[in-house]
Amino acid sequence: MQNNRRARKYLGTSVQTKLLFLVFFSAIIPAAIVGLCMYYFIFSMMARQMMFPEAIAANLMPVLNRVNVVVLITLPLSLVLIWVVALELSHRIAGPLYRMEKDLDERIKGTRQGPIILRKNDELKPLADKINKLMCK
Amino acid sequence: MVILAALTAAYFIFSGTSLPSMAKKPVNEGPKGLASFGFEEPDALKKWEEKVFKGRVIYSVNKTKNNSYLNAYSKSAASGIVHWLKFNPKEKPMVRWKWKVTRFPVKSSASSSGNGWLEKEDYAARFYIIFPKFPFFRLQCLEYIWSEDLPLNTVITNQSFGNLKLIVVESGTKNLSQWVSVERNIYEDFKRAFGRAPSEAGAIAIMTNANNSDSTAEAQYDEIEVGYAK
Repeated sequence: MQNNRRARKYLGTSVQTKLLFLVFFSAIIPAAIVGLCMYYFIFSMMARQMMFPEAIAANLMPVLNRVNVVVLITLPLSLVLIWVVALELSHRIAGPLYRMEKDLDERIKGTRQGPIILRKNDELKPLADKINKLMCK
Repeated sequence: MVILAALTAAYFIFSGTSLPSMAKKPVNEGPKGLASFGFEEPDALKKWEEKVFKGRVIYSVNKTKNNSYLNAYSKSAASGIVHWLKFNPKEKPMVRWKWKVTRFPVKSSASSSGNGWLEKEDYAARFYIIFPKFPFFRLQCLEYIWSEDLPLNTVITNQSFGNLKLIVVESGTKNLSQWVSVERNIYEDFKRAFGRAPSEAGAIAIMTNANNSDSTAEAQYDEIEVGYAK
């Protein structure tokens, strides 16, 4: 059985780059805003509840330090995970587009004949099928 | 009848005389500040918010024949009361109060060694000026203490919270069970303790604690006047 998977996830096209950053920042920005607000408001409200510096130092600062350690460990992992997901999502759109563009170029040059073949689950397969029908006319 | 009532009201308004039920003991004879606390009313503590740190100190308004005051009794506990009050310490830097210690926390001999610093943190009487900051851990605080062993005017930095400076404004046990008046310029004290001018003050607070030494402390506070010009 032919391995139909594309080896390269990042094709370097401007469409994929734009999609990659769009997905990445769409996930990062709201998460960062919500996270920072939660982080700040929870600790601020707790500090206001305690108010006495001795109480803040004894009760709140150790919790804050522990939370900071957890954030420092999980933040890079989360960023990598979101980057991988963004790369995969952008690839699902940009990959078939790249393939179709390449196939069409070859057909224009006359070095290739026949229909454009995309993978069964490709997002742009219906569009490729319509182009194939158009080319057959 | 209506005319009589109107005349009576006019008399009180224009003569500046208070009705007997409204009569209020002056906090003290000095200039008036932004906030005064004489603890005359039974519900005087409603203006204060309790903050429990370790166990609950009993804060109550006590009355004698001639006076009423705030009593703080701590049995191995640390909790304080806060009154929120924003003011500019540069414009109105003065603060004064009266306090009396009737029982100091009993600190073990370990207090004098390096490991006993925590027990040293117990003071029978503390008066705080809190300067909130953004973010909260930059909060700064001046704390006036009555210490039974530290010399007068000593400024110490709290070991667990660097932005908390303690100033010894009453020292020793010679004035035990006696009212002592304190007047401080918080602007100057802040500059001396922190090396820079203070920002806006946000609250004052009182605490009596004896939790670290697991002992008992008792103090009284009265005639608090905050935020007036010298």
